[in-house]
Amino acid sequence: VISVPAAVMFAILLLLFLLLLAVKNVVSPPDLFSGLNAGLPGDVPELTLCPPEFVASIFSHDDQEFVAATKSLHLEKLFKRERKAVALVWVRQTSAAIRRIMREHMIAARQSKDLELMTEVRLLALYVRLMFVCWVLFAVIHSTGPLWLRGLAVYADLLSQRIVGAQQAFGSATVAREIRGAGRI
Amino acid sequence: MLSQSIWWGGLALEVLLLLRGLQGKFARRYYVFYGYISFVLSQDILLFFAYQWRLQFYRDIYWSAEFIGVVLGCGIIFEVFRTELSAYPGVARMARNVLVLVFALAAAKGLANAWNDPRWWVEANTFEIERALRIVQAVSIAALVGLFLSYSISFGRNVRGILLGYGLFIGMRIVCLSFVSIQTHNFWFYAYSGCYLLVLCLWLIHLWSFSAVQQPQTSVRLEEDYQTLAAATRRRLQGARGYLVKAVRP
Repeated sequence: VISVPAAVMFAILLLLFLLLLAVKNVVSPPDLFSGLNAGLPGDVPELTLCPPEFVASIFSHDDQEFVAATKSLHLEKLFKRERKAVALVWVRQTSAAIRRIMREHMIAARQSKDLELMTEVRLLALYVRLMFVCWVLFAVIHSTGPLWLRGLAVYADLLSQRIVGAQQAFGSATVAREIRGAGRI
Repeated sequence: MLSQSIWWGGLALEVLLLLRGLQGKFARRYYVFYGYISFVLSQDILLFFAYQWRLQFYRDIYWSAEFIGVVLGCGIIFEVFRTELSAYPGVARMARNVLVLVFALAAAKGLANAWNDPRWWVEANTFEIERALRIVQAVSIAALVGLFLSYSISFGRNVRGILLGYGLFIGMRIVCLSFVSIQTHNFWFYAYSGCYLLVLCLWLIHLWSFSAVQQPQTSVRLEEDYQTLAAATRRRLQGARGYLVKAVRP
């Protein structure tokens, strides 16, 4: 037996899907032949985004240290605001590029006779994970700023290195104990 | 009075819809849908006569017709699937698998319920059974629409109207079956009837004239290279992940 709230939830889900269908047709008219010139998979251009050096400097503390050295609160505030805006644009741009990759795949793959459900599900899972990361990055940058994120990443990296070190030490100690134990036998 | 107006309005719209389909000669193309409309029209007329002269049969006729309507409704879903996905064999196969999965899950749940509580079939009223069946239809339509949206499959105006209208009808039917009262004509009774008029208007607008489904030209190269395409997409997505991680991590 399906409960009333579950039934209503199903109905709302269906109506939402239909709304999406109706809206999609109004916003972007059907692109009938877009799959035609998609070309071969090998021809698909790679992700074209900001150069890595530029991106690294968005999250880097170097500029902040430079601005802090001027000891101007106004300048520091302005810098933080601008840096946050740039970081948010970068996240938006990256998520748009990821969406484009998936869309290009869907349009190219839809005409294929050999479409495989499992392969499509795996790609979709990877896509959803990436979009989730983008969403988290967006939320974190929006609430705390890109520099804090870099600090967190540095801390997480240090922590993971310590854990790896501790694991290695523990592993070698265990092996040494086993060797000693084996020697006694 | 309100019931009578809704009833007459529905009847007029159904007749007009059928006439347009026959006049434009596209009723043959969407024969399941027009078969469904003809069935609903004859059901309405039959119920009118039963209501006027044989009230004791009204309930039996109503619920029997409702269940035949559910079956014909499944036919509409398959008709949309058949007409829209003929040019996309891979997506059609996937949609078929998804629909089979939905129906298998629904059948398994029904059997499990009957196994755990054999009195369920006896105790469940017609509202509950129809609601369960309508939910299966809703999930099938949602899965189909999800696939159409994901693969940007273009719709002809006619089929889009059929799917939107029937989906809206199913959604409203589920909500109304959850809240409608058996004894009295409450708000949900009129909401359901009113919504059906809205659905008929939607169908009439979309099916006023024939609109051919434009099929994309087939690309032989892509059909041969699905695995390469999937591998390229995976590589590009993994590249994006590396790009994201490299940007943030030191």
